[in-house]
Amino acid sequence: MLHVGLQHFLVVGALLFSLGLLTVATRRNAIGVLMGVELILNGANVNFVAFNHYVTGGVSGQVFALFVIVLAAAEAAVGLAIVLAIFQTFRSIDVRLADTMRE
Amino acid sequence: MPRKIVIWVVLAALVVTFVGVLGARMAEGAVLPEIILGPLGLTDALFYLFAAMTFAGAATVALSKNILHSALGLLAALMGTGSLYVFLSADFLAVTQLLVYIGGVLVLILFAVMLTNRITEVKISNASLGLVGGGALLVATVPVLVFVAIATPWATIVPAELAPTTREIGNAFLTRWLLPFELASLVLLATLIGAVVIARKELKQDEPDTSVS
Amino acid sequence: MEQLIGNNLASVAGFRPELVLTFGSIALLVLDLVLRRSRSRRALLAGAAVIVLGLAAVLLAAQSTASTPLFNGMIASDAFATFFKWIFLAAGFLTVLIVAQGDDYPSPRVGEFYGLLLAVVLGMFLMASATNLLTIYMSIELVSMVSYVLAGFRKSDRKAAEASLKYVIYGSVASGVMLFGMSYLYGLLGTFDVLAFAPKIAELSATTGAAGAATKLALVVAVVFVSSGVGYKIASVPWHMWCPDVYEGAPTPFTAFLSVGPKAAGFALALRFFLGSFAGPMGANGMAESIAGIPWPAVIGVLSAVTMTLGNLTAIAQTNLKRLLAYSSIAHAGYTLMGLATLSALGMQGVMIYMLIYLVMNLGAFLVVIVVAEATGSESIFDYSGLVHRHPLAAIAFGIFLFSLTGLPPFAGFTGKWYLFYAVIERASGPAGFWYGALAVVGALNTAVSLYYYARIIRAMFLEAPHVTDRVAPKLGYQLMLGAFSAAILVFGIWWAPIVEWSQRSMVMLRG
Repeated sequence: MLHVGLQHFLVVGALLFSLGLLTVATRRNAIGVLMGVELILNGANVNFVAFNHYVTGGVSGQVFALFVIVLAAAEAAVGLAIVLAIFQTFRSIDVRLADTMRE
Repeated sequence: MPRKIVIWVVLAALVVTFVGVLGARMAEGAVLPEIILGPLGLTDALFYLFAAMTFAGAATVALSKNILHSALGLLAALMGTGSLYVFLSADFLAVTQLLVYIGGVLVLILFAVMLTNRITEVKISNASLGLVGGGALLVATVPVLVFVAIATPWATIVPAELAPTTREIGNAFLTRWLLPFELASLVLLATLIGAVVIARKELKQDEPDTSVS
Repeated sequence: MEQLIGNNLASVAGFRPELVLTFGSIALLVLDLVLRRSRSRRALLAGAAVIVLGLAAVLLAAQSTASTPLFNGMIASDAFATFFKWIFLAAGFLTVLIVAQGDDYPSPRVGEFYGLLLAVVLGMFLMASATNLLTIYMSIELVSMVSYVLAGFRKSDRKAAEASLKYVIYGSVASGVMLFGMSYLYGLLGTFDVLAFAPKIAELSATTGAAGAATKLALVVAVVFVSSGVGYKIASVPWHMWCPDVYEGAPTPFTAFLSVGPKAAGFALALRFFLGSFAGPMGANGMAESIAGIPWPAVIGVLSAVTMTLGNLTAIAQTNLKRLLAYSSIAHAGYTLMGLATLSALGMQGVMIYMLIYLVMNLGAFLVVIVVAEATGSESIFDYSGLVHRHPLAAIAFGIFLFSLTGLPPFAGFTGKWYLFYAVIERASGPAGFWYGALAVVGALNTAVSLYYYARIIRAMFLEAPHVTDRVAPKLGYQLMLGAFSAAILVFGIWWAPIVEWSQRSMVMLRG
């Protein structure tokens, strides 16, 4: 039980994912929310690599994880650009303050 | 504050050394030394160390009131996962995690944190609202996911020896995964242009008048 | 390895429209710089975008619709994907036409808009044909990430900035959750190849006892998580929250595009993913069953009922037309989900027909909103009063679109709804028929509710006296488009055989 196996990595992945969801759900700061998304993506990546090592062999899971890292970087770039644009107009990045619409 | 920074720097240096040395050893085809520490092997002990670091970092991201501490927590979580990849025979991925995630994404996030704050004033709106709802979410997801992770009879194989993967990944990119590889370049180009469009200042000059139709 | 390379090279032949879109997108971005100071920049750029889309259409028409896997099983080329590709090309083409005439996108920015719009169209092409978890993920991300940018294109506009922030936050969370689900699917099934899922799931379900139950739970968790990515694209409950804000805040031509393009792409992806790999092949009666008894049709049926009810009930209270149409589009996602829940050939055909007709009627409705917004500067329902006296054509066209959206005969929307409801009722006599019957009743009640708020707009336009004066008359181009859309709605409301036959021919999907 103490020796490291697939389940150990999966638990780490599940915890990362859950903490990411918690971050997303409770954060008001938009950058904080994006950090939560990074945690979620990392949780998935740990799963991919662990399954790759313990279940499938080969490198397909690692390749998938690499693509996820690339897309996460792109998503962070777009997301943070939008956050900065919001900050220029609102002087705040509180997710709940940006609420001019709801009638 | 300086002491904290020293701790962080030491931690980061440790992880980088760990990933670097192990990556290099794996590239040479060497295996991890089997040192027994009480009931645990060295590998197991190291795993628990890095898993704890990942978890602590992620918890900081989720719970810290200070956005800067959250960013540092994210650093710890990313470094922790990067080190875990080494245990999974993913040396190239571990290094990519360090370079792209920590060198790129995290720096980007830190920049954004700094740009949206006056740098002297560290405490900004990162108050956790709806902790009850968040807690309920946690109570709902964690047991299910942990149960799925542990109880499911995954069809495991005997894992291959730790071996360098870079060559294999390079071949995979340009053969089986060629389309996603090219697609990724297009996604990067489009998002790069998009990010520039969004973040640059509004153009005022050389705009032909189009408001009258 | 030689074989893999050979397959990649051979696949290019079935990938020509996508290549045109790729290079066209890049060419437009370059052209945007070349034509920086040109006086007729708007017209030239729009012309270039239309040429690229036209070239893609020509190549798509020339391409065989035989089912073939491309690029080592990353995507599939088949009649099903081709059907949806035509919808995406039409959506892109009409959006270019609308943007070219309006001033929602300022002249210095319009080249970038066209270039990025073509990239979104490419992403939707790939969504409709993806047969690998990686291409599914990447195509969704391509569409999403470029859409975030296009929604927040007008920088000085607070609403647009806010819309893109909401969009990026909900979108990245939804795709992250989907990714986590995909990781479990990978662990359970050992492959990313969607076409290989069905036999592996059947194999897995052979295990019984505690292990079998745990496996099933893992599968259900994975499927639910993956559906969040799809649900977000089609704006179904509970992933609809971004929809009203983004629809209201984004520039209207892009809102119109979002409501028809990515929604259709999401349904194409869902049909291929769920019907292709989580359901057995369709029997002689045109019905399939879910593999290993995973209750996903029930889940989708419940989602469908909740989505349409929530969309319609919330739409009643709206006074901003864009927001109202946003909730109405959520409701329409709910109706269309009924077709997915039936798990039958008829349901699949219903989804395809509905997405095609929805493209015309919803784009038309948004075009009227653009026309009125240009004339009065307002999107409020109060400024639609007496529209028939101010812009008779726009008012009549809007009336046609709204009746069509309700699903009344003799408009095309009726044809679409007919097929969806017929598919549900066909199921009502089989096993679990009671639930399908209940779903049909919920759908019918919802149609009645939707008539209420659509009729409110129609009453304002036709029965109330105008109390605002307009600044400008609608442009000729808009009038022509409105006329064409209305004519299409009327024609296909009476003579729907061509659409039905085309969708019938297009129901061939590559299977593992």
